[in-house]
Amino acid sequence: MLASWMLAQSDYPIPMTNLTLGHYLFVAAAMFAIGLIGFLTRRNLIIMFLCTELMFQAAGIALVAFSRYHLNHTGETFVIFVLTVAAAEAAMALALVVLLFRRRESLSAEEWGQMKG
Amino acid sequence: MTELATTVWQGLAAAGLGAAEGWGVPPAVPGPMWIGLIPALPLLAVVLCTLCAIFKVKSKLPAWLTVGCLAASFVVTLLMYLNMSGSPMLSTAFTWIDVSWGSERSPRNLHANFGFYIDSLTCLWMLFVTGLATLIALYASEYMSHDVGKGYSRFFAAFSLFVFSMACLVMADNLILLYLGWEGVGLCSYLLIGYFYKKPSAVAAAKKAFIMNRIGDLGLALGIFLIFVKFGTVEYAKLFADGAFKEMLGHAMTGTSESWAKIPWDVKLIPILLMVGAFGKSAQFPLYVWLPDAMEGPTPVSALIHAATMVTAGVFLIARTYAVFQLSPSALTIVAIIGTVTALLAATIGMAQFDIKRIMAYSTVSQLGYMFAGLGVMTSVGACFHVFTHAFFKALLFLACGAVMHGFAGQLDLRKLSGVGKMPGWRIVGITMLVGCLNLAGFPLLAGFWSKDMILAQAFITPGMGLVGWVLLLTAGLTAYYTFRVYFRVFVGPQEHHPGDEAHGHDDHDAHGHGGHGHDDHGHAKADHKHEAHDFHPHPPGWAINLVLVVLAAASFAIIPLTFMGKHGGWVGDMVSHSSAAWSAPGEHHDDHAGHSHAAGDTHSHAGESSRSHDEEKLGTFLGMDPHAVMYYVSGVVGLIGIGVAYRLHLQGRTSAATSRADALLPMLGPIPKWAQNKWYVDEFYHFLFVRPLWVLSHIFHLIDRMLVDGLVNLAGILPRALGATIRPSQSGQLHGYAVAMAGGIGVLLLIVLLVAR
Amino acid sequence: MTMQSMHDKILELWPELVLFAGTCVVMVMGLSPKLAVRRMCAPVAGAALAVAGVLAALTTPEGRGLLPGLMPFAKVVVSVVGLAMLLLLDGTVDRTEERLIASGQPFNPLRTNRAEFYAFFLFSLTGLMLCASANDLIWLFLALELTSLPTYIMVTISRGGKAGARSQEAGVKYFFLGAMGAATFLFGFALLYGATGTTNLQAMKEFFAHAGEGGGITDLAIAGMLMSLLGVAFKIAAVPMHLYTPDVYEGAAAPVSAFLAFTPKTAGFISMILLCSTMGWTHGAGHSLPDLVRLLLWVMAALTMTVGNVLAILQSNVKRMLAYSSVAHSGYMLVALVAGPGSGRGITDNGLAAILFYLLSYGLMNLGAFAVLACLERRPGPDGEYREIETVDDLRGLCKTQPALGWTMVVCALSLLGFPPLLGFFAKVPLFTSAIAAGEIVLVVILGVNAAIAAYYYLRLVAMPLLEEPDATLPPAARTPFVSRPLAAFISAASVVVLVAFAGTLMREAGEAAKPPKATGHSNAAK
Repeated sequence: MLASWMLAQSDYPIPMTNLTLGHYLFVAAAMFAIGLIGFLTRRNLIIMFLCTELMFQAAGIALVAFSRYHLNHTGETFVIFVLTVAAAEAAMALALVVLLFRRRESLSAEEWGQMKG
Repeated sequence: MTELATTVWQGLAAAGLGAAEGWGVPPAVPGPMWIGLIPALPLLAVVLCTLCAIFKVKSKLPAWLTVGCLAASFVVTLLMYLNMSGSPMLSTAFTWIDVSWGSERSPRNLHANFGFYIDSLTCLWMLFVTGLATLIALYASEYMSHDVGKGYSRFFAAFSLFVFSMACLVMADNLILLYLGWEGVGLCSYLLIGYFYKKPSAVAAAKKAFIMNRIGDLGLALGIFLIFVKFGTVEYAKLFADGAFKEMLGHAMTGTSESWAKIPWDVKLIPILLMVGAFGKSAQFPLYVWLPDAMEGPTPVSALIHAATMVTAGVFLIARTYAVFQLSPSALTIVAIIGTVTALLAATIGMAQFDIKRIMAYSTVSQLGYMFAGLGVMTSVGACFHVFTHAFFKALLFLACGAVMHGFAGQLDLRKLSGVGKMPGWRIVGITMLVGCLNLAGFPLLAGFWSKDMILAQAFITPGMGLVGWVLLLTAGLTAYYTFRVYFRVFVGPQEHHPGDEAHGHDDHDAHGHGGHGHDDHGHAKADHKHEAHDFHPHPPGWAINLVLVVLAAASFAIIPLTFMGKHGGWVGDMVSHSSAAWSAPGEHHDDHAGHSHAAGDTHSHAGESSRSHDEEKLGTFLGMDPHAVMYYVSGVVGLIGIGVAYRLHLQGRTSAATSRADALLPMLGPIPKWAQNKWYVDEFYHFLFVRPLWVLSHIFHLIDRMLVDGLVNLAGILPRALGATIRPSQSGQLHGYAVAMAGGIGVLLLIVLLVAR
Repeated sequence: MTMQSMHDKILELWPELVLFAGTCVVMVMGLSPKLAVRRMCAPVAGAALAVAGVLAALTTPEGRGLLPGLMPFAKVVVSVVGLAMLLLLDGTVDRTEERLIASGQPFNPLRTNRAEFYAFFLFSLTGLMLCASANDLIWLFLALELTSLPTYIMVTISRGGKAGARSQEAGVKYFFLGAMGAATFLFGFALLYGATGTTNLQAMKEFFAHAGEGGGITDLAIAGMLMSLLGVAFKIAAVPMHLYTPDVYEGAAAPVSAFLAFTPKTAGFISMILLCSTMGWTHGAGHSLPDLVRLLLWVMAALTMTVGNVLAILQSNVKRMLAYSSVAHSGYMLVALVAGPGSGRGITDNGLAAILFYLLSYGLMNLGAFAVLACLERRPGPDGEYREIETVDDLRGLCKTQPALGWTMVVCALSLLGFPPLLGFFAKVPLFTSAIAAGEIVLVVILGVNAAIAAYYYLRLVAMPLLEEPDATLPPAARTPFVSRPLAAFISAASVVVLVAFAGTLMREAGEAAKPPKATGHSNAAK
């Protein structure tokens, strides 16, 4: 039901040729999954942060695709803001990583497991 | 149970118990504002004592402030009593809760003002609450003197706060304020039990009291909630005038199974829930275990809170909402049965204890059982009368025991004390103790005798309650025995004493205290608590303690004439029958008490007449005789037998404190005395039933949490290997553990949602 | 969005604008070489908060949006609790630094954190207020991130010296897991946008309401909603997104932990209320959330309460205990979220109003408990480090050694437990009644059982200070040299007691705040 509803869109001035919304969403979902799996498996703090960026940008792709599909610019506007927030997070992440590296001389997330229970 | 209940109810209905119109509270009239002073003055005392604590006052000032405020409060209560008219008075201090919602068609609102509902029941309760509180505060001013400058202000602040809360509870014009007071007295009791917080036993006792009371409070809260849901109000005046309520009361009075069916089950549940609340606060079976442990608190607290006032809050609740209790066919029957079971059980435990304060505690539980049984067999007058007399003599008994404890360095073991009454300076304590014991034992013509007798007689009259009557009669005998066991062993006989020490002492502060500070006139060494017996000089009580004891003893005589004042049930009966607790008991017209065959007021005449019109065979008898006529003699004789047995076993021919003739009897009884001494192992049973499983459960959850986190981490270790060689082997790190658990948790949650929904 | 509505919206944003201006001032002032100017950071922040609160109180809701009354109420609550928090935050950062400067070391703006700390505090509260004004998904996303990002830094820099290792560990866990949560709800937002074609919440609601007429709740929308709620669950520390909570609360300095227990949680609940409002409830009486969404919240509520409470029982560290209890409190509020606004007439059957009132009460009483910890420290040991009071044993006999703080702990713990007649009790009652009114009896039973379990650990916080003797082997805990911290504790304890008298008024206000808008055209047509 979902797929047929999505694929029904075809009367845009410039047709999307063979690429439909479904393809874009698949890419977005795959990117989100890859980001998540990377986040769960990698130990390097910088790589982990990049994985969260991947998840953010996956949402961005979905937004742009939906924006195109709905023929309005709201999604694209959203993406601009997402990029801004992602940039802010990147700045924070790097600062944090530097701070952590100074104390432990390591970038491994496993260094930080003192508190538990 | 149900069958029995139905029988009782058919019996009651046949006896023509007040048809719905037979019960009725006159419409409330506005009352004067100054009534608010009664709770306000103790509150003022709280503030003043707190200030004393902040400014570290090192004198007895907080005590005098408290005594002053409480005495003033008592005077205002007296004025209130003198101002009483026939109708209940309503006086609102300020608007508290006023919320409304619901659609326009059926608006609902919750009004609960900080207001007072004053009828004669309120007056009765407040008179003895404020009066006793004043006296006991005076007693405590001396008793707590070793704590001057340390916990003294704290003690009196909590003490006054208790009186304030109790006033809220009793004077409230709605159930929410009652609940506030209910929790308030619980809190103060908790604080004061734990007053000697150095002792682990005191802390444990405080905790136990807290938890046991929570169970009861849950019932009360649900009951109040149900009342609100069903009748749309929590104010007494509106509830009693509510149309739906009166209609259901009418159904209940008709008493046939069809009319019972017209009352919805959740309305029938209300009295049961309220009852659970009353059982918790008034220490009834199976929630009674906290009260004996509560004796870890200072003795004045035991006397005021755990004997005279707070524990009677349950009786008050049932008396106040007596009409609500008519809505269930089984509620009052359960009350009667539980009350009787409690009375007997506590009396048997009391017989086997050696700590005199604990004996008094079990005796309190037992007497509370009496009061509940009284309510259950439909004599609210008898129950309230017993509350009233019991408040005086039980406070007296506790204070006398407290004086002993104060003077003998915390010694409370009746095997270590003997002949105290004959020692120099102890005469007053001995005599007043005797007065209290005689009252408790139901010695003929004393106040305790009249009130106990009223409940006993009614138990035999109310149809289907004969067994209750017999058990209560047996309990009366046991009560007389254990009471005089204490008196004969501790206060008379050969003189002998072994002072207590820190290890057994209850108020261990005393053990150090009286030697050093506060009692210069004795001036014995501070090391008293280590002494051999011959080094130790018990110090007799001072003027404040003696004065209070004498006043209380005198009061317990002074209330005897009240029995004959007024009409049925004496002065107390008058007070109760003009309040919401009025409910005519079956066969009341049999009462030839002080020569009045007519019940008091219009309410009672109604009931009386309708009773006569029905056949009287339904009413119970005592061995074929009229219980009201013979019960005086029977209960008097039973009491005397109990005293006699105690005399034979514990005084006659006793040469030392530790031994008595009763010891010879013990082997014949097998393990029973030991079981009774161990309180029938109820505590151990509760521990096994409740405390252990919860602890196990929390550990299981902890284990699951560990397994979930670690397990998922390991699971996540497999996935990457399957995905590719580039991904490093998983190593368990905390951050990752969390991340995996979160992602896995989301997955599991979505799976659950999808599976359940589809 | 027309120019006119933009203009109106700006008018409603005065509190946020004032806070932002205050933030800028504080950020500059904190870098001044003069101690007197640096010291003015907190008062300026307080003034900005107070002005913002007054402005918020003066704002009249215009009857538009999903919950027109929500904005002023939530903003006033934020500024009131924020002011109390500010008192508590005093002295959290730069303590060592200021001592060095006082002993002659020159002022180095790179080494101090004061400016950032107070600025981030204000930023976070600005984000929180923006959450309450949100009428758009983009706005909501930005507001949520503005609330959270500053807290990551506040946690990380909240402790110095050796203890800094713990606050940094807390920071790294909080930040990375938070980013994962943010990505989750962002993806959910994207799907919601995809399903409806709009990010305006009001328009989304209209879209969902018109099933069969080119609208309706599609599977895609449900998927988006589930992901959004699960992502936002991180902010309120609900299961399964709760795992970071104990570590972060333990690692951060006590004042910051108190801040964490209020700010992101409030933002999360306001967002959840707004999100759920688009899909359910407002179509008139009898309408509930879609089954899947309701079920998700139901399971989440039950698990959150239970997990939080049973794990809190096992803790010996007070901050961890309070962290798990914070998880449990989120579960309680989720129950009311499941119940929804009911008839929407008053707080007793309006779960949303119950949440708003509970957030205020919880913010105040929880503040008190953390404030007691923040007011105490062990004297510096041989290494010259101050040690925070952390374990339950450290509270032993506090009512004797520090009576005022001890009693604050007792009162706040009792209130958190929901002990009548304290504020916490009055806050819990609407949770129960609204859930009963909505017919969620099983949840109510779970809630009741949990409220009972909570007694086990809260009573330890009551018994330790009140009934135990101070530990003679250790030097007694001393007061930290910041006068405003005890003040925050006493304000909290006093409000827990005093606000009971105004509980009726507050409940009425909360009920107004959570009233659904007047029936619109289509819901009339539905009748």
